[in-house]
Amino acid sequence: MKHPLVLLVNEERYELEIRPNRTLLEVIREDLGLTGTKEGCGTGECGACTVLLDGEPINACLTLALQAHGRKVTTIEGLAKGGQLHPLQEAFIRYGAIQCGFCTPGMILTAKALLDKKPKPEEVEIREALVGNLCRCTGYQKIVEAIMSLVRAGGKPGP
Amino acid sequence: MSAYRVVGHPLPQIDARERALGAAQFVSDLKLPRMLFGRVLRSPHPHARILRIDTSKAKALVGVKAVVTAEDTPKIPFGPRTEDWTILAGDKVRFVGDEVAAVAAVDEETAEEALELIQVEYEELPAVFDPLEAMRPEAPLIHDKPKNIVSEFHLTRGDVEEAFKESDFVHSASYFTSQVYQAYLEPMACVTDIDPTGKLTFYLATQIPSMTRLTYAKALNLPLEKIRVVVPYYGGAFGAKMETNLHLIAAILSQKTGRPVRMVNPRQEDFMAGNPRVPMYIDLRIGVKKDGTLMGKEVHVIGAAGGRAVYSMVIVATACYRVDSLYRFQNLKTKGLTVYTNTVPTSCFRGFGNAQMTFALESSMDMIAEAIGMDPAELRIRNGVRTGDVSIHGWKIGSSGLAECIDKATEASHWKEKRAEKRFPRGIGLACCNHVSGNRAFAREFDGGAGLVRIGREGKVLVYHGESDMGQGQKTVFAQIVAEELGVPLDWVEVAWVDTEVSPFGMGSFATRGTVFGGNGVKAAAAEARRQILELAAEMLEANPVDLEIKEGMIFVKGAPEKSLPFKRAAEEGLYRRGGAPIVGTGFWVPDTVLPDPVTKYGNISPAYPFACHIAEVEVDTETGQVNLLNYVAAHDVGRAINPQTTEGQIHGGVAQGIGWALMENMITEKGRILNPNFRDYVVPGPLDLPPIKSILVEPIDPNGPFGAKGIGEPALNPVPAAVANAIYHAIGVRITELPITPEKILKALKARKR
Repeated sequence: MKHPLVLLVNEERYELEIRPNRTLLEVIREDLGLTGTKEGCGTGECGACTVLLDGEPINACLTLALQAHGRKVTTIEGLAKGGQLHPLQEAFIRYGAIQCGFCTPGMILTAKALLDKKPKPEEVEIREALVGNLCRCTGYQKIVEAIMSLVRAGGKPGP
Repeated sequence: MSAYRVVGHPLPQIDARERALGAAQFVSDLKLPRMLFGRVLRSPHPHARILRIDTSKAKALVGVKAVVTAEDTPKIPFGPRTEDWTILAGDKVRFVGDEVAAVAAVDEETAEEALELIQVEYEELPAVFDPLEAMRPEAPLIHDKPKNIVSEFHLTRGDVEEAFKESDFVHSASYFTSQVYQAYLEPMACVTDIDPTGKLTFYLATQIPSMTRLTYAKALNLPLEKIRVVVPYYGGAFGAKMETNLHLIAAILSQKTGRPVRMVNPRQEDFMAGNPRVPMYIDLRIGVKKDGTLMGKEVHVIGAAGGRAVYSMVIVATACYRVDSLYRFQNLKTKGLTVYTNTVPTSCFRGFGNAQMTFALESSMDMIAEAIGMDPAELRIRNGVRTGDVSIHGWKIGSSGLAECIDKATEASHWKEKRAEKRFPRGIGLACCNHVSGNRAFAREFDGGAGLVRIGREGKVLVYHGESDMGQGQKTVFAQIVAEELGVPLDWVEVAWVDTEVSPFGMGSFATRGTVFGGNGVKAAAAEARRQILELAAEMLEANPVDLEIKEGMIFVKGAPEKSLPFKRAAEEGLYRRGGAPIVGTGFWVPDTVLPDPVTKYGNISPAYPFACHIAEVEVDTETGQVNLLNYVAAHDVGRAINPQTTEGQIHGGVAQGIGWALMENMITEKGRILNPNFRDYVVPGPLDLPPIKSILVEPIDPNGPFGAKGIGEPALNPVPAAVANAIYHAIGVRITELPITPEKILKALKARKR
């Protein structure tokens, strides 16, 4: 039995028919072809599949697609506007916060959710916010530095 | 400030933008038309005979396109070093997770459902999990090798017994280093495709594309030209992503169905059947004079290979003797055994055996320093190898920044003050390491690096190499080297995916060799491309090629800058004059290394040797046993940092992984079954688990590295567990010699000390 599903992904409306047991991650990656959202574990422990659901970071691998019915989903592909990178993307590039890049989409979206809510967090608050996003390459230091640079510069990519 | 335009500058990775946008296609993102999804049925038993496999129900499931067992494979024994692999298990399974059968289906759900329909009848066999037990006479044989021994390593230099007699103090200790998982964020993955002639294309996450191709041709009984390996973006490796049966199973499924097949390990299976670090028992004796002179060293290593040998025996060998070129040892006796066990096959993980031995050696050095009343830093400087040394194994130390690393790390961490003012339960500990930049003993067929630089009509520079960028920034370093050599802006340079159809035969990314070998290879190729374009430009400018220079994309006559020509114009005009042929420069670099003698192991195995000194500062909660890392300083002799930003990134990541190994991570097994095959129970460091890491770059400019560079990947991790263990000892006076250093072990040691 397939169920109708309406998703608003990156401000684009999708009308789909899906089996109810499918996860939001599967639908985003396979049906919509948005492979920027990664699968690192499938059990909600690594954060590589983080997307924003109505602005809140969630693990798309643990969310049924139908739970997102009619709601706003933001994936990494939705951050750059008109060829202009999001300041977080700029900062991650500039500060060397990206090595293999598999965790990067989830990291950036989690950081976005934090800064949208709290534009001037302390360093420890940034680290607390990222606790569900694993990175094995960077030791997190340059990721935190990248986010801090935005905090210092009031949301714009800092020097 | 760098003496160069592009080399030596801290620059973002050239493809960071694709990754930041989520546009980079990783292996597990690739999708080809009519692609099927593969899954593996794995053994639930650590050791069992396969009596019967019934695949009929699975084959009947709608959407299933192929179900394969050993019967469907060439059944040729193969392996990267030994011949104890088969693509799927034939007569018996040897570890929980061993590959028994596989399915290709139209979607992942169907493939998974089909696995449950395969019926396998096993006869369980006695199993053995610890290498010490596996060598006992009553132990079951896993591969019919006497005492389950895969290989032995023996090495003697000088006279250790005599050296111990002459020593004022002989220190003995036993260590155990645990089995840990590389935990790259993208699990092992591949896509295979087949054309009507039977030619297979493998899209692989692999560190060794060219060598993988050789191994797979043998396993599949195909001529080499029927195998093409392409390496797209992939999500980390840290040593683990070399040959794996997963890729070959996908190939068999593609052969069976004539369709592309994608296989990605579910995370749990990646734990079960990846290739985690070789766990080792290490017994170490060191003789020393009162003045700190190291007289002799005797070491005995026993490592667990798991159910088949991957590179474990080379890793045990490395543990046995690499550290002998860190200090000026004069007398050595070494024995190393690699032993089969009914556990997941173990292999490469950043450090490659040297990390295991560095934990042992550098813990012992700390105890020796205390015993003779010497500052641990001074003990190391006193014995450390220096520039120009030829070590006891014939390794030519072209540059050593070891002493400078120690000086700078101790200064930055306020070592002297903090060692003196003991503030229980705070402490500070130090450890050093050496490493290689490429290892001739591992890459046996030949040694060298090569590149190909293509300058197109539009002047764009495309670099081909045969190594592998797993995320560390290798492509960026190659692009910087080529831009520097050619005199063009960095953003004119692109680095192609490795594709064995066009790329040079690279040995690959292991042994911290990428920068030195691949870097020298692409540098030579760029020099040749430069020679060609200057020859063409000389004709156009009516000048002599030797009088020309390239700067910022302009070619001009030295001393007469008005006589100039844009690089792009020269590329275009050159192409016209040569019937459309682009400029293609190929180049190679062959170092002055030797394949060590199989018995004496004597000979220079690497063109450049990196060194490091790490200092950890901890506070231990003596109520809970919890270790809190306060500060971390990592000073590295990198020869020259081609890119200080990516070099620093390597250091941060290596230290983080080392901290995980030292304090947090451990694959817990019960009767060969891994009890924590997930990130909830196997905890890797998160953003709150790490101290501020200060990296210091020491740049002695190596005579052999490209622009003087040496490697950084593995030394970034090697010293961490010892630095942490030594800091804990300094803090609370207990010595932990078994990894990981858990709160339980600390509390137990504290209790034992009270008694």
